[in-house]
Amino acid sequence: MDTKILLEARSATKKFGGLTAVNAVDMQINKGDIFGIIGPNGAGKTTFFNMCTGFYTLDKGNIFLEGQDITNQPSDVIAHKGIARTFQNIKLFKYMTVLDNISIGSHINTKTSIIDAVFHTDTYKKDEEYIKETGMEILHQVGLEKYSDSLAGNLPYGVQRKVEIARALAVKPKILLLDEPAAGMNPIETDSLMSFIKMLNSMGYTIALIEHDMKFVMNSCNRIIVLNFGEKIFEGTPEEVKNSVLVQEAYFGKGIAVSRGLSA
Amino acid sequence: MTSAYFISQLMNGLCLGAIYALIALGVAVIIGIVGFATFTQGEVVMMGAYISFYVFLYGGNHVIPGILGSFIATWVLGMIIYKICYARFLDAPEHISLICTIGFSMLLKNIALIFFGADKKPMLNVIKSINYHFGPITVSNVQLLILGTVLILVLILSFVFTKTDWGIRLKAVSQNREAAALIGIDVEKTAMIGNSIGCALAGAAGTLIGIYYQSCYPTMGATLSMKAFTSATLGGLTSVPFAALGGILIGIIENIGIAFSSASFRDMFSFGFLILMLIFKPTGFARKRSVRA
Amino acid sequence: MMEINMIKKYLLKYGTAMLLFLLPLIVSKSIMTVVCSIAGYFIIAGALNSINGYSGQMCFGIAGFYCVGAYTMAILMNTFHISFWIALLPSGIMAAFAGMLVALPTLKLRGMFMAMLTIGFSEVMRMICLNWTSVTGGTMGIKGIKAPLFFGIKTSGASRYYYIYLVTALLFIFCTNRVIHSRIGRAWMAIREDDMAARSLGVSINLYKILNFMYGAFWAGIAGALLAPYKTYIDSSYFTLDEGFNILSMVIIGGQGTLAGPMVGVVIYQLLVEGLRFTGVWRYIGCAVLIIAMMWLRPQGMVGDSDSVLAGNKTVRTGSNLLSNLHWKTPGPIRKLIISVLY
Repeated sequence: MDTKILLEARSATKKFGGLTAVNAVDMQINKGDIFGIIGPNGAGKTTFFNMCTGFYTLDKGNIFLEGQDITNQPSDVIAHKGIARTFQNIKLFKYMTVLDNISIGSHINTKTSIIDAVFHTDTYKKDEEYIKETGMEILHQVGLEKYSDSLAGNLPYGVQRKVEIARALAVKPKILLLDEPAAGMNPIETDSLMSFIKMLNSMGYTIALIEHDMKFVMNSCNRIIVLNFGEKIFEGTPEEVKNSVLVQEAYFGKGIAVSRGLSA
Repeated sequence: MTSAYFISQLMNGLCLGAIYALIALGVAVIIGIVGFATFTQGEVVMMGAYISFYVFLYGGNHVIPGILGSFIATWVLGMIIYKICYARFLDAPEHISLICTIGFSMLLKNIALIFFGADKKPMLNVIKSINYHFGPITVSNVQLLILGTVLILVLILSFVFTKTDWGIRLKAVSQNREAAALIGIDVEKTAMIGNSIGCALAGAAGTLIGIYYQSCYPTMGATLSMKAFTSATLGGLTSVPFAALGGILIGIIENIGIAFSSASFRDMFSFGFLILMLIFKPTGFARKRSVRA
Repeated sequence: MMEINMIKKYLLKYGTAMLLFLLPLIVSKSIMTVVCSIAGYFIIAGALNSINGYSGQMCFGIAGFYCVGAYTMAILMNTFHISFWIALLPSGIMAAFAGMLVALPTLKLRGMFMAMLTIGFSEVMRMICLNWTSVTGGTMGIKGIKAPLFFGIKTSGASRYYYIYLVTALLFIFCTNRVIHSRIGRAWMAIREDDMAARSLGVSINLYKILNFMYGAFWAGIAGALLAPYKTYIDSSYFTLDEGFNILSMVIIGGQGTLAGPMVGVVIYQLLVEGLRFTGVWRYIGCAVLIIAMMWLRPQGMVGDSDSVLAGNKTVRTGSNLLSNLHWKTPGPIRKLIISVLY
C-alpha cells in the first residue's frame, strides 16, 4: 500500500431504508491534497462525510486512514486517529468563548483526570499551558486573536466558520474535512476563506472539502470527485471536471432541448 | 396460593389496570398533542376524586353526575395547567415546562391539603357492592362499573379522534405542529383542548379510584403520574391504544406481583417495568412515529 | 483604584470567611439548624447541578443517590461500627457506583425519557431501603446514629455539626470549581452545548456522561452521609421523589450551570420555607408559586447566564414579552457579590 494515500474509501455504501444515499464510492485522498467533493443537492456528499467520520455506519465497504481500517468506529475514536471535521450548519459551542471552543479542540491532546484537576498536579499544569499556547497559536495563525474572548455565537457568520476550522485544527488532525465552508458567505469572505485554506494547505494540512461554489472549488482544489445520486460519476483535476460532459449533465440535465435547438 | 385467590387478584389487577389505562391515555394524549411530559397528572386524578366526593356528598350517590362533575372540573383545570405550564414554553427547552408541572403539582397537592384537609375522606357505598359469580370468577358490580366506564370513555375518545373535526385537528397537531399551523389550524387552542382532554380523562379516573378504594386523600396522586407514564412507555409515549394496554398490563403485573410477594412491593413492579422499558425499548412497541428517545 | 478594589475584595473574602466560621457563636441554635440544612442542601443541590447544569443531562432522581449515601453511612457506622471519618469516603463511592449504574442505561436517552428513568431508579433505590428490613431496618429506619468525635470533641448538635457541613461544602466548591475549569469540565459543557460537535472533536460522550453522573452522585452520597449522623435517625421518608423535586427546584431557582446558582437557590428556598413557617402549610404554596414564577420570569435561574443553552429565553415568543423588562442584567449584583467572595 502506498503510504502517500491518507484517507481511502473502498466501495462505501450507505442506505436509508430503500434509498441508497451513497453507493459504492471509491476515493483516495493523498497527503497534501486539497480534495474537492462536489455534486448537486442530495448527491450524498454530507452523508459521505458522515460515514468517513463515524457519524453514520456503513452498510458496505470500508474506510481506511493511512491504511488502517477505521470503518464504523465511533466518531470520537476516529477523531483520535486524526480526522477532524466541520459541519454544514455550523456547530460551534455558541455560548462559550472562542478560546474555550478551541480548548475543547485540544481535548484529545491532553490527559488531565479528575484527580489531576482537583489537586492541580503537574499533568494539569502542563495541559493547561499546552491548551492555552496551542489556542493562542492557532488563533494567531487564523488571525482571530481579537475575538478570543467573545462568545462564539455572537460572531459574524464568516468568522464563525473560521472559528470552527480553528477548533478542528486544535485536534492536530492528519486530515481536515470541511463541509461547505463557504456556504452563506459573501464573495469577499469567500475569497479570504480560499486564501486561508490554501495557507493551511501550505502549512502541511491535508484538506477535503464539500462545496457548491464552483469558483471556490476550481481555484482551490487540486483533485475533485463528483457525486450524483450517491454514485461517483467523475474524478479528476479541476480542468478535467470543467470539461466533462458527464458532470455538466449531472448539474444541468441532458439538455435535449438545447442541443436540438442548436443543431436545428 | 389458591387459584381462586389468583383469579380474584387478576380481576383486581384488570380493574385497577383499567383505571391506570384511563390516566395513561390522558398522558399519551397530552404528550402527543402538547409535546411535553407532565408531572401533574396524579394531582389531577386526586382533584377529580375530591370533586366527585363533594358531588356525592351534596348531590347524593349518583355515579354519573360524579363522573361528569369531575370530568368538567378537570377539563377546566386542564385549561389552567395549559396556560400556566405549557403555553409560554412551547418552543423552549423541555425541562422548563417539566419543572413548571412539578411546581403546579406541588401547588395542587398543598391546595388540597389546606382546603380538603390531610385526612382521608371516605367515599362509602357510592354504589352498593354486589358480587356476581361466574364459575370460579367473582366479579363485583363496582368492578363492572369501572370496566364499563373506562370502555365507554375509550370508545368516545376513539370516536372523537377518528370521526370528528376536532379529532382530526388534534391528530394533525400531534403529528406536525408547524405543518398544522401552516394549513390554518389554531395550534395553541388545539393543544389546549388536547391537554384538557388528557386532564379530564384523569379526572374521571379519579372518580373511579375514589369509588374503588372508597376514599380520597391529598397524596393519593403521588405515584399515579409515574404509573401513567410507565404505561405510556409501552407505546412510545404517544400511542393511545398502547398506553391503554400498558395501563392494564401494569395493573395486572402489580396485583399478580403482590400476590407472590407482599403489598409493600407494589410500586416496585411498576417502576421496575418503567426501567426495563426505558432501557430496552424506549421507543415503545407502537409502529407509528413517536417522540424521539 | 486597583488597590482599593483589592483591599475591598480581601475584606469581603476574609470577612465572609470569619463570619462563616464564627456564625455559631453569634446566632441562636434554632437559626443554626436552618443554616445546617442550608449547608446540607447546598452540597446536594450542587451535586445535582454538576449533572444537570454542566453536562446538560436531565437527572430528576438525585434523591436516590442521597439515599444510598445516607444508608451506607448509617449501616457502616451502626452495624459495622466504623468511624464516621473513615465511612465518609465509602459512602460517596457507593453512591458514585449507583450513579454509574444509572448512567449506563441513560446514555442513549434524552429529555423526558432520561428524567423518567432517573426518577424510576431513585424510587427503586428508596424502595429497596424501605423493604430490605434486615439491613436497613425497613419502615423503622436506622436509629441512634452517633455524631462523630473530632479529636475527642463531640460534634452533636447543630452549632457543632455545622463545622462539618461547612468544611464539606467548602471542599465541594473547591473541587467542583477546579474540575469545571479543567479539561473534564470543558468536555461536560461541550456535551451540553452540542454533543455532535463534541464527538467530532474526540470527546468520548459516553465516558464523560458516566463520569459526570458519578461525580454528581458521589457528592450527593456525601451529602447523604452527612445527613445521617446529623439527624441521628434516617428512614426512607427523607428521600422521596418530592424531596428530589425540592432539590431540583432549588437548583433551577438559583440557576443551573453556575457554581453560585444552587447556593442562591438553596438560600432562597430555605429562607422562604423557614420565613413563612408562621403561615403553616401555606408556605409550600409559596414555594410552588415561586417555582412557577421563576420559570415564567427567569427560566435560567437567579444567577444563571441569560446567554446559555439552559436559559431558553431566546425562544420566549415576542407576544408574551410583557415581563421581559423584569429580566435582570446578566452578571447581576448577587452573582457579582458571590463571585467576588468565591475567587
